[in-house]
Amino acid sequence: MLAKRIQPMASQAKRLYVELMFQVMGRALQAVSEVDSEVQAEARTLPEGFLFEMMVMPDGSKLIVEHIGDGRFHYHGDSAPRPVDVSIKFKHLTHAFLVLSFQEKTSVAFANDRMLVDGDVSYAVRMTRVLNRLEAFILPKIIAERAVKEYPANLHLPEKLISAAQIYLKVATHFVQTVRA
Amino acid sequence: MSNTYYEFFCPVKVIAGKAALEHIPYELSGLAAKRPMIVTDKGVRAAGLLDPVIAACEESGLEIISIYDDVPPDSSTTVVRDIAAVYRKEKCDSIIAIGGGSAIDTGKAVNILVSEGGDDVAKYTGAGVLKRPLKPFLVVPTTAGTGSEVTSIAVITDEKKGVKLPFTSSYLLPNAAVIDPRMTLTLPPHITAATAMDAMTHAIESFTCMAKNPLSDAYAAAAIKKVSRSLLQVMDNPKDSDGRLELAQASTMAGIAFSNSMVGLVHSLGHATGAICHLPHGLCMSLYLPYVLEYNLETIREPLSELLLHLEGPEVYAATPSSRRAEASISALRKLRDALYKRCKLPRTLKETGKVTEDQLDQIAEMALDDGSIMFNPKEVNLKDARAVLQRAWA
Repeated sequence: MLAKRIQPMASQAKRLYVELMFQVMGRALQAVSEVDSEVQAEARTLPEGFLFEMMVMPDGSKLIVEHIGDGRFHYHGDSAPRPVDVSIKFKHLTHAFLVLSFQEKTSVAFANDRMLVDGDVSYAVRMTRVLNRLEAFILPKIIAERAVKEYPANLHLPEKLISAAQIYLKVATHFVQTVRA
Repeated sequence: MSNTYYEFFCPVKVIAGKAALEHIPYELSGLAAKRPMIVTDKGVRAAGLLDPVIAACEESGLEIISIYDDVPPDSSTTVVRDIAAVYRKEKCDSIIAIGGGSAIDTGKAVNILVSEGGDDVAKYTGAGVLKRPLKPFLVVPTTAGTGSEVTSIAVITDEKKGVKLPFTSSYLLPNAAVIDPRMTLTLPPHITAATAMDAMTHAIESFTCMAKNPLSDAYAAAAIKKVSRSLLQVMDNPKDSDGRLELAQASTMAGIAFSNSMVGLVHSLGHATGAICHLPHGLCMSLYLPYVLEYNLETIREPLSELLLHLEGPEVYAATPSSRRAEASISALRKLRDALYKRCKLPRTLKETGKVTEDQLDQIAEMALDDGSIMFNPKEVNLKDARAVLQRAWA
């Protein structure tokens, strides 16, 4: 009986968590593309104006970023100015929650068929590498190791701390600007 | 509670063994098909492989309405459109694809157009676009390697845009795959070797990569055992129809395995090498397999150790200390490659192919990193890692 009452609340909490994480990740993707040369190198090969989406099927939370050129991303929130080029779609809210709460690595989620790729797979592979790099920067190592297939051996604490601080500052600034707007 | 999760799907009826072709008329009648069209290539026709299929149908009073035998090695949207036009003109109601990967993929793409309508198959590219079953479709493989008869994907080149279009849907799967040893009996030695190593790689990557699962493991292990036991036997005696059937079944089983658990870095490197240096897919698989297994070794030690039983048999498995079994599996594959090199000069290194230059390795590494199958490789791969594997495979 209690479980039945709690379930809608738990579902709502998951929904809010996933939405919040998408907002953080979208802003963080923009931020990391401004501070990390490896991410910029990955992004540079994407076409200018390339739109990338992550979303929960059928019509749940989403994040959309655009490659605006020179390896830089721009976060569009949850609405795309035109049809997206590549979309990574979680089949269910629970699957998105498993990944975004670091209970399941992104690579494992792909292997487990939790997600679909709609669009050019090679771009999705590239974007997954960018997401992994981002997670390695912004998460404590112990959590990042749960999120990525392999924590980058060449990412040392000073670089990680400096980059993470820059990314978090940019994310916070973007949040404030959004609220003010 | 266990965190494991997997999906497994294979609705294809497998019709395998002696006189399997003679089941085609019955299978088509069960699908209410009376006017089949054969899609194949010139090589298959020239080898006389259509004759037993046509005879089997005629003996049951089933007329083959049309035969399209001009499928190129790299099929295109134009070819698909042309075949669909013939299908409609001749009022066909079903397709029998006879051949290797290209003929089978073409058959799948033609089936999209004749079932969904229109002339532009590019409209249906991507995953999950098809929403309903297509026309009756049978596949008769003439090579033992690709496993295309049990995979839900087709790749067709868009000539105008110069890109390869992937089509993915469970509706692309044929109603039945007909595995008859007569169809692979005349395969030349180097193709027999390369395609069998393709099947071996499908099975090994399926067994060791990230999406492995108990059902695909069962198919993969059985396929590895069949290839290990029969390949050299067939190389020494190409007319050994029992051995041929074993290899053909292994190819189908490996196809079922990898289409449910995906493949890894061997395929990423192989796809890139195929695109840049135009080397046959099976050859690339054979070439990269041991080097990639060495790269992945510490992440796949357990499953790779297990495979020694299927690669070398119970005596060798029992005599090998458990800590050395993974390395022994890789040695067994190297030994098999050496034996194939001795019999048909199947290259073991990039240098031996004579078609790759060392300065192409960087380009291959870069392209391999963007290949979809790299996602399922158990160990993370960066540019430096991919380049190092290629260097080891060089000579």
